[in-house]
Amino acid sequence: MKNEQNPSIKQVKIYSIVTLILIVIGSGVSYWTAGRIEYYTDGVMHTSDVLQRTDELYSSILERETNIRGYVLTSNEEFLTNYNQSNVNAELLLIQLQALTIDNTLQQNNIEELRGLINSRVRTFEASIEYMKEHGDLVGFLDPNKINNALSGYTLIKDVVLRINDVENGLFQQKNQSLINNINALPFIVGLISIFSITIGLMTFFSIYQFNKAQLAANKEITLFQQKLRDQIKLLDDSNKELEQFAYVASHDLQEPLRKITAFSDLLKEQYDGKLEGEGDLYLSRITAAAVRMRRLITDLLEYSRAGRIENEKVKSVKLSKVIAEMLEDFEIAIQDKSAKIAVGKLPKVIGSETEYRQVFQNLISNSLKFSKPSVNPEISITSEQASEELINSYPNLDSSANYYLIKVSDNGIGFEKTHVDRIFSIFQRLHGKKEYEGTGIGLSITKKIIEKNGGVIFAESSVGKGSVFNIILPYIKP
Amino acid sequence: MLMSFEKPIQILVAEDDEDDKLLILKAFERTLPKEKVTCVEDGEALLKYLKRNPPYDDLEKYPKPDIILLDLNMPRKDGREALAEIKSIDELKSIPVIIFTTSNSVDDIQTTYKMGSSSFITKPGSFEELVKVTEEIENYWSKTVLLPG
Repeated sequence: MKNEQNPSIKQVKIYSIVTLILIVIGSGVSYWTAGRIEYYTDGVMHTSDVLQRTDELYSSILERETNIRGYVLTSNEEFLTNYNQSNVNAELLLIQLQALTIDNTLQQNNIEELRGLINSRVRTFEASIEYMKEHGDLVGFLDPNKINNALSGYTLIKDVVLRINDVENGLFQQKNQSLINNINALPFIVGLISIFSITIGLMTFFSIYQFNKAQLAANKEITLFQQKLRDQIKLLDDSNKELEQFAYVASHDLQEPLRKITAFSDLLKEQYDGKLEGEGDLYLSRITAAAVRMRRLITDLLEYSRAGRIENEKVKSVKLSKVIAEMLEDFEIAIQDKSAKIAVGKLPKVIGSETEYRQVFQNLISNSLKFSKPSVNPEISITSEQASEELINSYPNLDSSANYYLIKVSDNGIGFEKTHVDRIFSIFQRLHGKKEYEGTGIGLSITKKIIEKNGGVIFAESSVGKGSVFNIILPYIKP
Repeated sequence: MLMSFEKPIQILVAEDDEDDKLLILKAFERTLPKEKVTCVEDGEALLKYLKRNPPYDDLEKYPKPDIILLDLNMPRKDGREALAEIKSIDELKSIPVIIFTTSNSVDDIQTTYKMGSSSFITKPGSFEELVKVTEEIENYWSKTVLLPG
């Protein structure tokens, strides 16, 4: 389920990312366009400025022409003062225009040419004024050649001024068009991005709507599934109880004919021992041995079906250290025979029945003694610690919010293969032949049943020749 | 009148299972003469025997028992019903009833003692043990205790 993500949620994610990217691009483009608009606005303003100054310059040239003409006609000195003022103005405007068009070589050349023309015309005017001051009029000063020169000088100035105006007008048109283009593009860009964003927003909304719909359907399904699961669990519980009942009744009823087989074979042996022909005696002893084994199996099966059936009133707080100390007394002879060393650490109190815990540790210790290495003195230790959160979480049937003890029973025995860690807890499962190690293979399954009934878990760790560790996880006593 | 010591006791066995009946008879044979043990196959027959209803009206063939060995699980009338009936009849209630059954349930033990049984024995697993039990029964009821007769 984890790998197969809900398609709607995936869509929503993609849409959101695309919307974000679009918004960033939109903002970028808008910012850039705004920059362009500002740039072209400045350009247009600049060109207007140049045009205006060019006009002013032309006006001051005209003014100068008018003043010089006035002076020549009237000899009035006031015209001369105005003429000089116009000269200063023209020079100032030239300097300003030069500064304004510093980045435009064409205009710089035009302005330089204009300056040259103005200067040469100034020189002609200065000569006329000198002559006027000396002779009182211009008679004898003017000749057709000079008049021609004066006329063409003015036309040249006018041409250059018009050229400057043309260039600036061209620039103005160009910049103005760019400005208009950029201004027109802005709403288009914003509109386009808005349309995209709105579309994706709608798609996202639709996806979320679909996801919610799917979730609702899934929730409904989960509820149904849970109900089904509960029903199944109840069925399982019932069938488990039936099975236990069956095991009990079966083993109980099986004892009946078995008792008779044993009794009659006893009788047979008693009355016909040594009198049977051929291998009669051997067969008879085989029947007896098989009956004895079957009795053990049935007794164990009965014990297994009874394990965990302890009535509630027998469940109480049990001091494990006391249970184990008492249990070890029963093993005294076996421990001495095998020169075994048993170390018992500090053990907690747990909930359950004393008899059952006694059975648990009896099974584990007797296994450790039974499966010890032939030439090595058995060393068994029983310790307790708090179970780690990680360990608790790895067992779904444990309550991850509760505290648990981890009780370890370790030995230095023959161990077993890792692949058998689960098999050993199954009923009547044996890892060794009956001749090597006796037993019916029920001890650990009873142990497991008891631990699980008390809300715990048991698991084994081992490898061949390296000893075994049986780990029991049991809950803390609830205050 | 008290019974004298050492006199062999008369035992009546109520047992429906042929095998068990055979084994019990075989075991008692070790210590008692054959005619000292008689058998009936269920609770109904047991009551008929005790009440001397036919075919149990022949006192020679069906002598009055000193003790009764009663199986619990039997057809028609089971051991519990038979026990209740015996203990409700004045002339019969003094006869010791020994429950001799495969059951070892605490329930059965408690109810039958409450109903007035004298002992509760679970059938042993081997013939050897069965012989030991029949010997003990015979010894106890004929030598150790005094019976009303």
